[in-house]
Amino acid sequence: MKVREWISDLQDFYLLSIDGIAAFGKRPFYLKDLIEQMDYAGAGSFSIVLVVSLFLGMALSLQLSAELSRVGLKMYTGNIVGVSIIREMGPVVTALIFAGRVGSGMASELGSMILGHQVDTLRVFGVDPVKKLVSPRILSSIIMLPILTIIGDAVSILGGYFIAVYVSHQSGAVYWSSIREVFDFENVFAGAIKPFIFGYIIASISCYMGLSTKGGAIGLRRATTRAVVASFILIIIADFVLTRILLYILGFSI
Amino acid sequence: MIRFDRVSFSYGPRFVLQDVSFSIRAHERVAILGESGVGKTTILKLILGLIRPDSGRIFIDGEEINDMTEEELRKIRMKFSIVFQEGALFDSLNVKENVAFCLREYSRMSEEELDMRVRALLRIVGVEQAMELMPEELSGGMHRRVAIARSIAAYEPKMFLYDEPTSGLDPINAEKICRMILNLSENQSGLLIVTHKVIDALKVAERFLFLKEGSILLDGSKEALVRATIPEVKAFLSELHFHPDS
Repeated sequence: MKVREWISDLQDFYLLSIDGIAAFGKRPFYLKDLIEQMDYAGAGSFSIVLVVSLFLGMALSLQLSAELSRVGLKMYTGNIVGVSIIREMGPVVTALIFAGRVGSGMASELGSMILGHQVDTLRVFGVDPVKKLVSPRILSSIIMLPILTIIGDAVSILGGYFIAVYVSHQSGAVYWSSIREVFDFENVFAGAIKPFIFGYIIASISCYMGLSTKGGAIGLRRATTRAVVASFILIIIADFVLTRILLYILGFSI
Repeated sequence: MIRFDRVSFSYGPRFVLQDVSFSIRAHERVAILGESGVGKTTILKLILGLIRPDSGRIFIDGEEINDMTEEELRKIRMKFSIVFQEGALFDSLNVKENVAFCLREYSRMSEEELDMRVRALLRIVGVEQAMELMPEELSGGMHRRVAIARSIAAYEPKMFLYDEPTSGLDPINAEKICRMILNLSENQSGLLIVTHKVIDALKVAERFLFLKEGSILLDGSKEALVRATIPEVKAFLSELHFHPDS
């Protein structure tokens, strides 16, 4: 019975995530809802991404400076900070922040709409809940997570610069030239593609968990927790899979 | 207008309705009574096609709705107006936008026309002054009234469905809501109210179904309800301190 339920849940999730994307092309287009969601997902997460990214870049730079100075390769700090942030840590950390803040918000909001019969009310009024509620959330995540990632990457690199120059006493010019070096197509492409996929994963999971809420306040708590946990796990797994695919496509040898 | 033919429904392993059959005509005023969790709201959801029965058939105006698509169900749902428990207003919209929700979806009214229509609807339910308030700023009674105004905004329903419309309200507000429910169905619209508040049901309905453990134990008039000899019905009425002669 459990296996059957699990397969049925998986099928429902799959259908919702497909319908959520497919609904973009159908009328009516809920622009106001999209803007509201973009504001919540983007502007609302901006300060958290800023703070976390800054300290992430500083910590990374600090660790690398300490380790590289032992083998006399401190001048590579900028290079390694740049590659790690742009290709890996920036997209993943921003996605995790996004899942924790925006994903949990989506799941709890939709969950309380289910429990308060607001989703039923939409259906009675002839409004498709997937189009009205899910599509704007998926689209806003796909748009806002890459933007937040770019901002986060920039702030992390700046944080790394601060530590490299003012704490580790490295040359600022060398740091920036190393950063410029890693700004090639391969690295930028590898880092840029991930947030789109992560945004889609987070919004689909969160909307699904929210819309499948059952059983009052405890059910709502369960749905929100599941949304965040499932998003975290899938982000990490998807990151590995994407990294493997991108390395292959971009011709990196391992 | 509504016909249930041996309808069963369960939430997972828990049976809620078992082989339930009844019919309701278009202009009838019916109350479904029973304790919380006996499946009263489930019946409303089944009527609207929001959930599908495990077995049995449901007919609305002679059309079986069991296998209808969402698109087909949309036409069926337009025959009804529903006020869910606690109103189910959209939290992110103010009173005006809640009431105007359907109008924006279905009509091409100008902002001015929309404003006038919303004002008129809120005047009917007596909360015109709350137009700019958010749902969290409304009292329980105002919440229900706004929900009633919203439910009649876009189209004229053949039947009104109410899910516990007076639960959690003080007697004065409950009385006002009951009066409003009666007024709205004066123009030959039917009504189906599900509630556990017998006093309120008696004020608005003329026929009563009593639901217990997934089955209908009583289907009859006001007189049949208050003089019922069925132990479960008597127990239900006495638990509510309801006395037939009061």
